[in-house]
Amino acid sequence: MTRHRTPRRRRLDELAPPPRIAAQELDAQLDLLDRQVLDRDRVQTTTVDDIELTDVADPANPDPARPPELTALLTGPVLGTRIFGGRPPESRFERIPWTDVSEMGTVIRLGVAADSLDATWAERWVRDRIIARIPGGTHDPQ
Amino acid sequence: MILSDLLRRPVFAADGEYLGVVVDARFALDGTRHQLLNSPRLVGLIVSPISRTSFMGYERTGVRAPALIAAWFRRRERGSFLVLWEDVASLKGTTVELRSRATLHSPRLAGDGRVEG
Amino acid sequence: MKGILAVALGVLTAIGGFLDIGDLVVNSVVGSRFGLTLVWVVVVGVIGICVFAQMSGRVAAASGRATFEIIRERLGARMALANLGASFLINLLTLTAEIGGIALALQLATSIEPTLWMPVAAFAVWLVIWRVKFSIMENVTGLLGLTLVMFAVAVFLLHPNWLDLGAQILQQPSPHSAESPATYWYYAVALFGAAMTPYEVFFFSSGAIEEKWKPKDLAQSRLNVLVGFPLGGVLSIAIAACATIVLLPKGIAVDSLYETALPIAQAAGKIGLIVVILGFVAATFGAALEVTLSSGYTLAQFFGWPWGKYRKPAQAARFHLVMIVSLIVGVGILMTGVDPVEVTEVSVVFSSIALPLTYLPILIVANDPRYMGKLVNGRVTNFFGLVFLAIILVASIAAIPLMIITGAGS
Repeated sequence: MTRHRTPRRRRLDELAPPPRIAAQELDAQLDLLDRQVLDRDRVQTTTVDDIELTDVADPANPDPARPPELTALLTGPVLGTRIFGGRPPESRFERIPWTDVSEMGTVIRLGVAADSLDATWAERWVRDRIIARIPGGTHDPQ
Repeated sequence: MILSDLLRRPVFAADGEYLGVVVDARFALDGTRHQLLNSPRLVGLIVSPISRTSFMGYERTGVRAPALIAAWFRRRERGSFLVLWEDVASLKGTTVELRSRATLHSPRLAGDGRVEG
Repeated sequence: MKGILAVALGVLTAIGGFLDIGDLVVNSVVGSRFGLTLVWVVVVGVIGICVFAQMSGRVAAASGRATFEIIRERLGARMALANLGASFLINLLTLTAEIGGIALALQLATSIEPTLWMPVAAFAVWLVIWRVKFSIMENVTGLLGLTLVMFAVAVFLLHPNWLDLGAQILQQPSPHSAESPATYWYYAVALFGAAMTPYEVFFFSSGAIEEKWKPKDLAQSRLNVLVGFPLGGVLSIAIAACATIVLLPKGIAVDSLYETALPIAQAAGKIGLIVVILGFVAATFGAALEVTLSSGYTLAQFFGWPWGKYRKPAQAARFHLVMIVSLIVGVGILMTGVDPVEVTEVSVVFSSIALPLTYLPILIVANDPRYMGKLVNGRVTNFFGLVFLAIILVASIAAIPLMIITGAGS
């Protein structure tokens, strides 16, 4: 990344007031990224590693009337690329569609069970291949 | 498009002035209707003059304690602002270019913690 | 009556659960070389762990979330990953030390080579985590660890010169000219790291979730912490005092648990020794359980996996896999022949280095009303929190230079 001179910091009184918006607002980094996702039975599902948005038709000339929308929460290899750089191919995205999300707060709640999601394949794999094979793996400790 | 495509992109005004980097994206829950929640619609991008991503968001939520730590982070991160989607002229390549006479808004969130004018 | 029993149980468990191999080794080393001149570090460390254990328990009860889950949300993935990396490695080191400690304690009991005990110990730790209910696990190891009170008894049985002991506590720095000031401060950092090990806080807050604490349980937990931990600290000091009385005058160096137990043998003979060895086994076993669970907790909480002993293993598959792998790696390291006592000493110093990364996020989260509601930190808690953060930063920065200068305390 080319180095730029540090731009000046604008004071709050130099900025316009924030736009009035009726709907609930959220900031992706503050409210969505790295949040815990719980399923409808309050079982931990994953953390939000990245977010998928609708593509912009023409990036050189974005349409002001058609802002991108958030379509899915992403998990899996995107975490590594978010931190270290790069981008995994779209076929390797592990998505939780936004339509499964029922509630947002300090955690993100889903309206479906974790096991029904594609994105939880790793947990099922370890469970079926390893843990369930050890005696007592399905024993209830309470 | 994924969010980390946008984060840390340098932002330039129409006249070429370097304004900072994208540290966050603001959405509003008034997009396409679904059964549970509406799709979040991109309202705009939060830009910061410091080339680091927002640390703990102290400057946007008004949480003031512990006093020393909050004050220190608040001072480090002042100067960030919100630009609306309508003011984005181009997302080509790895930068963000704004339209001429784009408005820079305060990044304060309404309704979360104490908000100052 | 049931209420009083529950309270007593909590306090006693806290006392017995306070000591691990790090406390056992470092306190007796310090007593044998510096007398009681480093007692103030134990006092400071106990206050620190009380402040932060309370805070992290309150975070868990108020928000329903464990500490590491919140660290990623507040610090962001990058810093949390760095934190995870450091914490996990130090956890692994501590785990290795604790398994080694169990083996050493069993060697004292049976005279069988520790190397033979190590895989047995690791397997036993795994089995308890796999099958035994959380509260039973905690209570049994905590209560058995109470036998370490034998050290306090031994101090009296040894008829020390009380005035001399008292004078040492107040003397600054070491009056023993054989030790340099740098070594004194190196052991101060080590003792501090042994008292405030990061895994304790992760374990405490995750344990609060395991036992489903609500805000109404906080009064009970406050009592457990504020009474139990200081009394545990008193036992630490007793271990140092025993070493001061018996080992220091003769210049006996502490190379293994044998020397740690020597004052007990002198004061109370064979019976005292049996009691104390039981305490060693219980304390190291209990600590091994906690550290292993911490490895699982931190990794699972960072990635958002299902976790918890309250779940069937099949419902927290990756959580259990991490713990199994950690135990295997720990035993693997021990089988290469490293001295568990040296591993212990290194692990406590590295714990000191990682402390700021652990405690700063807790302090920040405990002040955030979105997680805590009305239970946010008060002014007094914040004051102590900030003071200790400063102390932790100093210890963390000083650790490596001191380690290099003193050749790890030799």
